[in-house]
Amino acid sequence: MKNKTSYAIAAGIAVIMIAFPAFLGAYPLNVARSVMTYMALAISWDMLLRSGQISFGIAGLFGLGSYASALAVLRGGMDPFLSIVFAAVFAGVMAYALGFVVLRLRSMYFSITTLALMEIFRIIIHNLHDFSGGPEGVVLPGVIFKGSASALYWLCLGGLFITIGASYYFEKSKMHLALTAIRNDETSARSNGVDIFKYLLIAFVVTSTLQGMMGAIQVQSYGFTMPDTAFDGNFTLLPLAMALLGGVHSTIGPMAGAVLLGVSAEWLKLQIPYGHLVVYGIIIIIVILFMPQGIVGMVRKASRTGRRSGRKAGASNE
Amino acid sequence: MSKLTTVGLTKAFSGLVAVNDVSFNMEEGEILGIIGPNGAGKTTFIHLVSGILMPTSGTITFKGQDITYAPAHQRSRMGIARTYQLIHPLENLKVIENVMVGAVFSKDMSLKAARLESERICAELELEGLERDTTQLSILEIKKMEIARALANEPEVLFLDEVMAGLNSDETKHLIATIQRIARERKLAVGVVEHVMGVIRELTQRVIVLEAGELIAEGPYGEVSKNPRVIEAYLGGAA
Repeated sequence: MKNKTSYAIAAGIAVIMIAFPAFLGAYPLNVARSVMTYMALAISWDMLLRSGQISFGIAGLFGLGSYASALAVLRGGMDPFLSIVFAAVFAGVMAYALGFVVLRLRSMYFSITTLALMEIFRIIIHNLHDFSGGPEGVVLPGVIFKGSASALYWLCLGGLFITIGASYYFEKSKMHLALTAIRNDETSARSNGVDIFKYLLIAFVVTSTLQGMMGAIQVQSYGFTMPDTAFDGNFTLLPLAMALLGGVHSTIGPMAGAVLLGVSAEWLKLQIPYGHLVVYGIIIIIVILFMPQGIVGMVRKASRTGRRSGRKAGASNE
Repeated sequence: MSKLTTVGLTKAFSGLVAVNDVSFNMEEGEILGIIGPNGAGKTTFIHLVSGILMPTSGTITFKGQDITYAPAHQRSRMGIARTYQLIHPLENLKVIENVMVGAVFSKDMSLKAARLESERICAELELEGLERDTTQLSILEIKKMEIARALANEPEVLFLDEVMAGLNSDETKHLIATIQRIARERKLAVGVVEHVMGVIRELTQRVIVLEAGELIAEGPYGEVSKNPRVIEAYLGGAA
């Protein structure tokens, strides 16, 4: 019963989101695209976090996807839409190869290495002048779907839906047991048949594919990119802040965080240009100090204690 | 029939030899005690046969197959399960999900089948309240949950590392009876590490005694407890 209601609510929200272009102008659609991109990145980051691995490499995979897509179109003459699929697969294959090295590492060593990988990607692209366009970046012959605001919105929404779908699968399938077991206790996981490396590799490849896909969607929607844009540290920092604010280890948490931070960031940007990053920093600090479970965690806790005290009251009435 | 055999099993941590040239054998359906003073190498020995640590030398054979260097998750799939001296609950999973992990990954069960199987195993162990968080469990319930999780791997050999630690005497009696019943019903070979000799006397048919990594005695508890070497190991040379 409870499941049916939440499915109905989710379907309703999905329909409303699909219908947005019917009653929103170009600017709000643009903001929505930005929020959805960060939301997808926040969810994908959280998916790997469920195994206990904190990645600082989101921007690296995002940028890699951007460039794979842009260069496939520019140098290979690939269809723009197909190039998004290609870029997603490319990011996944890179993650698969790199996973054999970085997934041997844990905790801060893993985090620092993913951060370094991002820099390595950026520097390579920066220096491959003839192929990648170097620091000046690349300009595509055109924007995908001839730049139609609605089509671009739906493309981004499609990317987001795929990400939410993958995250939901991670929550409801045996991936949930595997990743949580690895996060809680690797020794215990091993003793119960969990092939730790295999499941970490699956999570790393899937999340990297999603991040690469979102990068490709981004570059095809703007028609140009350069290393400092594609590998912008904000693509690591903001999703992280959103997931932390909303509540980690779930799909709904990063989504809530992305809506809250994404929309308020857009507003703050207009009020205090660049100052919004300071506000972000403060939010991260406050969240980590006072609500480590995020908004969703707080709501869950509140509803649980509410239910418990309700039950107590009911019992004393009898 | 011999289930698990080690020959000359040795583990050295740089200079320190924690397990030294241990050869032993576990039969189908037997409950074997593994005893010895603190630091004798009992837990290291279980780490070696369950694949948590890799040996320096020697061999481990399970049902005729050489598993000396097989990774831990493969051994649990083959039929060697264990619990830990320090409790290892998966705290972000519910009780039932904790148990399901064993069935899903060692037995490749679907979530649905694993849930049914896990409920059955918990009923066998008289463990209730399966939708609870692990933080709500008593120590006896956590121990049972960890045994249930090990059983969900459908093991043929099960190692219990100080499973009675922290239990009162009634709970200990209850768990001894439970383990005996399960071992009998499942034709399980059980290896028990325990410091409480009363438990070893009640529970086991045979014991091996480790001291400073070496196997110094073997046989029924009644015999071994009279062995002068064993008494010396426990009480010290001066006694």
